[in-house]
Amino acid sequence: MDAGEDCVNYSKNFSEMEPGWGLDQAVAEAGRCLLCHEPPCSKGCPAQTDPGAFIRKLRFRNVTGAIRTVKRNNILAGACAVLCPTARLCEKECSACGIDRAIEIGKIQRFLVEQSWKTGWNISADLAGEKPAARPEKIAVVGAGPAGLACAAELAKQGYPVTVFEARPEPGGVLRYGVPAFRFAAGFLGRELADVESLGVKFQCSAPLAGKGAAEDLLKKGYSAVFLALGLWEPVRLKEDAGAIKGLTTSMDFLAALREGKFAETGRRIKGKVCAVIGGGSVAMDCARSALRLGAADVYLLYRRSYAQMPAEADERELALREGAHFILLNQPVDYVTGPRGELRGIRLVRTRLGAKDSSGRRKPVAVKGTEWVLPVDAAIEAIGYRPRRGSPSWYPSIAVDGGGLIRAREQDCRTSRPKIFAGGDIVRGPDLVVRAVADGKTAARSIMEYLGGSWPTK
Amino acid sequence: MANKVDLSVNFCGKRFPNPFLLSSSPVSNTAEMIERAFEHGFGGVVYKSLSSPHVEIVHPSPRMQGYDYGPARLAGLQNVEQTSDRPLKDNLEDIAYLKKRWPDRVVIASIMGFAASEWKDLAVAAAGSGADMLELNFSCPHMAVEGAGMKVGQSFHLVQKFTEIVRREVKLPLLAKLTSNVADISEPALYAKKGGADAITAINSVRALTEVGLDDFVPKPNIFGKGALSGYTGPGIKPIGLRCISELAGNKELGLPLSGCGGIETWIDAAEYLLCGASTLQMTTGVIHYGYRIVEDMIEGLSDFMAAKGLRSVSEMVGQALPHMCGVGEFDVSRQGAAAYDLDRCVGCGQCYIVCQDAGAGTLGWDSAKRRPVPDEKRCYSCMICSFVCPVGDPPLITYKEIRGKKPHIAARRGQKTVVSGKP
Repeated sequence: MDAGEDCVNYSKNFSEMEPGWGLDQAVAEAGRCLLCHEPPCSKGCPAQTDPGAFIRKLRFRNVTGAIRTVKRNNILAGACAVLCPTARLCEKECSACGIDRAIEIGKIQRFLVEQSWKTGWNISADLAGEKPAARPEKIAVVGAGPAGLACAAELAKQGYPVTVFEARPEPGGVLRYGVPAFRFAAGFLGRELADVESLGVKFQCSAPLAGKGAAEDLLKKGYSAVFLALGLWEPVRLKEDAGAIKGLTTSMDFLAALREGKFAETGRRIKGKVCAVIGGGSVAMDCARSALRLGAADVYLLYRRSYAQMPAEADERELALREGAHFILLNQPVDYVTGPRGELRGIRLVRTRLGAKDSSGRRKPVAVKGTEWVLPVDAAIEAIGYRPRRGSPSWYPSIAVDGGGLIRAREQDCRTSRPKIFAGGDIVRGPDLVVRAVADGKTAARSIMEYLGGSWPTK
Repeated sequence: MANKVDLSVNFCGKRFPNPFLLSSSPVSNTAEMIERAFEHGFGGVVYKSLSSPHVEIVHPSPRMQGYDYGPARLAGLQNVEQTSDRPLKDNLEDIAYLKKRWPDRVVIASIMGFAASEWKDLAVAAAGSGADMLELNFSCPHMAVEGAGMKVGQSFHLVQKFTEIVRREVKLPLLAKLTSNVADISEPALYAKKGGADAITAINSVRALTEVGLDDFVPKPNIFGKGALSGYTGPGIKPIGLRCISELAGNKELGLPLSGCGGIETWIDAAEYLLCGASTLQMTTGVIHYGYRIVEDMIEGLSDFMAAKGLRSVSEMVGQALPHMCGVGEFDVSRQGAAAYDLDRCVGCGQCYIVCQDAGAGTLGWDSAKRRPVPDEKRCYSCMICSFVCPVGDPPLITYKEIRGKKPHIAARRGQKTVVSGKP
């Protein structure tokens, strides 16, 4: 770590997640569970998580059974437990809401995953007695994010040799490069990746899909099926030609640099500086909180709609505010103000008011004429969305994509327009939740197996 | 305090400022401890059992084992505590000090002889220290000394014999503390009365085993690789204590005042013991769990309850539940009812449906789409287990309702619907 950047304890600020629960806390929370008939929570998860079963198991001290339920269903159960907006998924369905508040299912699930590490429970050992016959068909998974990892793990469990090709130096995708370590630590990810590897999945990192027809080429190289789970790795920009401004960066570069440990270099641009974050989603909150942890003098979060329309989860918004971010709402950033050496001096904003609802169902911001003003800033981070890599459709010319470059694939089986090539996760859905990517990975695995003539086990 | 209610009670001719006493146990081990209990408001104490200075008492280690129910700590407590391991002389001095320093509180000395002569010596010594009364410990279920404690309480002639020995030596009121580990606690109580006892204390701890270590298969408390059956106390034994007190109070031949003991922790427990016939109340495990301060809430809670009920003295409450008790064969089975559901407040958990199917009449329906039970009052057994698992309380969502003219139910055979019996 960087000794020159005194006062800012990066390792503390960035590697420590909020601690998880211990056995007593988890059992006490399970004690609040109403143990519902036909548990509604178990219908609230895109990835078929069954809290009704694992909470009951915990309640009756069948802790190993509870771990088994969680990890067999979802190899990334820990990641989902930490990152899922449970309040609007499983917990939203909870009957205990009628008494006081929902059972904290995410916290219980995280406890079970961490308890598995503590007790030495291991998925591959647990499955050892029921290993299916080895399958001859090799499968290629492109992208080691949540969708790719889930698909690879499920296929490996069914006996397929799976290789995951990852563009970046290490696997994890958005879990490693897109979420700050204080929300999801590398060590936590590492243990879940080890679970995937223990199932026999092979990884090839720094192996990006590149060149015309690269996806189809995998089929020619002997892979019987390909699952494309590329994710979205091109930042949407406020102005396409803004790249040369000193002090301006994108959420993608900013967060990835921090995950790569480039604290000194990144911190130098933020520490003691007035910093703006543009956007109102989860990533914007991550950027604002990261900038505060780097020692920014002030962090302004600029958002064109109002608080209630922010796409970020309620708890993320509250954390950003509590940690000191200033929210400037109903203001649309329109341009950057630069100095003589191309350095960022400020952001030009125009006030907005909320008009009629747009296609997203949220009220649309309308610029108020004559209200332009400049917020002086030293640094700015754009966090206004991700899209497919420029030119990515050429890597798979036989596959239909939409106007924005998203791959067209069927939700129910992840099939693309090209036989043998399947796709899921954000490259199909656009920006979405980790758990939906996991769900796609699981769907794709089953679909691939059935396509190859195998029969997916019912239980 | 909100209500000035006189909680004083007369027991064996002695005025107690309130009915709350420490029972003979680790919580009444020294004058220093008891003094603090008095400061919190305890009306008296049964001083930890004194035994012969000729028999050395050495406590096993560890002494106790907590018994939890889910997240609820200390639903019960198992212990292998012996009689006082302090020198008899020190204990007698402590008793004398307490009587001098706290003349308005009642100090009862518990004694346990390991031989006939010891009962006599201990009685004389305790009386000499100024104790107001003596309690004869015929009930400790885990004495290391053979033939003591519960073993006496189970040999009724010994109960009488040792009571007689003490009776001959001292004029003080005598309480015989009896064990519930017998078929009918009234029997030894009558022997105690014959021997000259003035009152009965019930119950002592129940001989039990709370837990077995799953790593080493050693029953707990694990005392260096060994466990033993020993005394179990706390909220888990309150129902047994209430049974014994109501049996003793209901026994016309006995007619002795009763000191109730077993799982008393709140003023509600206290009120129940009083209503079943106890006129003083003793406690230990509640103190082990929460400290002496629990007595403050018992005093305040019982006072408010009595004021609300218009009860002017504790003695007015004693035994008021007894006229409402009967044998199971004496119930009026011509009157029947059903579980009534206030479905507007239902949260849709469906636990009622599960237990009705698996343990009840199996007549409750379930609307999957609405996530609501579908009650059938006509065919309901009125076992009421659905109401015990329903999480909605204050007031309860599921309550008992009498249905005039309803016939009792007879269970159907497997695969059949339940049928209504033609005759009650």
